[in-house]
Amino acid sequence: MVKREQLFSAMTASYVVALALALVVGAVFAPVVWSGVPSADDDEDSVAVITLRGGTTDANVNDVKQDLRDARTDDSIRAVVLRVDSPGGPVDSSEEFYLAVNRTAAELPVVAYVEGTAASGGYYGIAPADEIVVKPSSNVGSIGVIVQAPLSRIEQVERQGETFVRSGPDKAQIDKDSLRNDLEVLQRSFVGTVMQHRGEQLTLSREEVANGDTYLGSRAIANGFADRIGDSELAIERAAALSTDIDGDRYDVTYLGSDEPDLGLVAVSDDAETVQGENGVTYVVYPDDETQSFREPVEYYAVWGIPTNETDATVIRDD
Amino acid sequence: MTEGRVVKPLAVFVVVLVAILGATFLLAVLAPGGSGPPDGQSIDGQSPPQYQPDAVDAPVDPEAGEIEIDTDTNDRRILVDTDHENQVAERDLEPVTEAVFEADHTLEYGVSDGDEFGDELDRYDGVLIIQPLQSYTTAERIALREYTDDGGRVVILAEPTQTRLSTGFGQSTATVSFGATDVLEQYDVRVGAERLYNMDDEATDNNFKSIYASPTEESDLSDGVETVNFDTAGYVATDGGVDTKFTAVEGTRTLETRRLGTYPTVVRNDNVVFVADTTFIRESDVYDADNEVFVGNLIEFLVTDEPSSPANGTATENGTATENGTAARVREGAALRR
Repeated sequence: MVKREQLFSAMTASYVVALALALVVGAVFAPVVWSGVPSADDDEDSVAVITLRGGTTDANVNDVKQDLRDARTDDSIRAVVLRVDSPGGPVDSSEEFYLAVNRTAAELPVVAYVEGTAASGGYYGIAPADEIVVKPSSNVGSIGVIVQAPLSRIEQVERQGETFVRSGPDKAQIDKDSLRNDLEVLQRSFVGTVMQHRGEQLTLSREEVANGDTYLGSRAIANGFADRIGDSELAIERAAALSTDIDGDRYDVTYLGSDEPDLGLVAVSDDAETVQGENGVTYVVYPDDETQSFREPVEYYAVWGIPTNETDATVIRDD
Repeated sequence: MTEGRVVKPLAVFVVVLVAILGATFLLAVLAPGGSGPPDGQSIDGQSPPQYQPDAVDAPVDPEAGEIEIDTDTNDRRILVDTDHENQVAERDLEPVTEAVFEADHTLEYGVSDGDEFGDELDRYDGVLIIQPLQSYTTAERIALREYTDDGGRVVILAEPTQTRLSTGFGQSTATVSFGATDVLEQYDVRVGAERLYNMDDEATDNNFKSIYASPTEESDLSDGVETVNFDTAGYVATDGGVDTKFTAVEGTRTLETRRLGTYPTVVRNDNVVFVADTTFIRESDVYDADNEVFVGNLIEFLVTDEPSSPANGTATENGTATENGTAARVREGAALRR
């Protein structure tokens, strides 16, 4: 009798243990299962903070583009704060930066916070923001374009012409006039963008904007390059206030960014990096190969200062 | 019996775990918005107005035209000074040399070996001085002054002081200054202290430093010229006594101090014309805007006999000088040389 009771007790205990174990394991893995299923709905409205620190290079801009896309497609995100510290970069990727912010600003309130510098290509990107918040030490402006053209490639172009058989008079030729014409086109689209988005606030004429000067925070407020002095928290408050969907201070702040560990399953070599593109496409980007055979003859930059990534003998021509 | 002790609790464990995870999965899947909209619904292209071709395409100045030198004279000789570190190469002036040749005149570079600049001036009908870095000796200055006082004509092209990049082993910068200020001052002019620029797209040839200038009045120098393009333009400082022939267009400023003004770029003092730029005559720029017409006018100025003012002689109908006969003397000198 006693043995039977003992057996019953043991069985009961084992069931209890099994049940307890199941609950514990279930509790551990249930969040994983939950988060594994995409959900675009969240009860609490939120303000997304997206950060760009560094040049407006292809990689950085692609990260920000993906973050902005995430913000646009997440129904809980009601406004975006773009936290920027960038001196600009190549014109082509700076334009991508602008287009991505412009797209976002058409759908959500966007407030830019200039953490350090938003000059040249950095300012290009935040121009469509509804408000630009700066600190006294924030540096904005430098609207303009430079072209990096190795002297050797211009001055020895005729020697190249003799070395190669070319199919037309302009093929493989670089001359000052064509560089200037191209530079003018890029300059006009840049200045036109700033005037398009900031024209009402700016107290400067188009020509003065095109001078390419930079302005510290207080001067930027005075001439319309920026809207108010403050910190990142103020920028978040302003973004929330600009959203009609957010009720007072009932909102969360979501920091979007690519700093999170990448758990993607794409196996790449050590030299390559993955970049999240539009529509969830993952691009594998291999760094520039110094020994590659072909390079663009000239590169156009929207940058404050001069590019320092080139190691060969290059200069910024004054003409 | 022993198997049941293990299997049954294990079965309970598996069933409960599957039930929990399954329920979680179902909840997650069935939750509103779980699957998200198709990507296409969030695709919304953009084509900003400020990027349209009409907004960004900058008109390019056509490089067209001919350097036409229309004179009644022929066989005139023009000296291009090369004895004072002049910043010009024969190749730069090939289009001009060709046009001078076609007009039956001659462009010669430097005086003959062993001859002194000042002593040889009389052999030429006109002198073209382009950006000398070296100063002229007192004797040379006096000779040049006498040459122009006697009816000889001189065109001086200069650039303001600027920093140039030199390449080679390593790179360095050097300050380059016009070296013949003493020569200019005897004609009441100096090279202005700064370069000029203009941020109005309509006032430049696609670069803020490549400015336009326009004539101030109708004259032989401006005949057929509406706009000239100066790529490294400075301005002319004067203490009076000269005729301003061209000024930089409206909105032009000095590069360093940003002073807005009406800056003279081409002036004439009797037999001397001074242009505060040297690029317009070079092969790379000579066909920009109306530069080729202006260059033709300058060459005509150099080879024409007609005195510039009564003080230096009076023109006759056939274009030869009388009274002091200076132009005729120059021509004789040139003939002797030939």
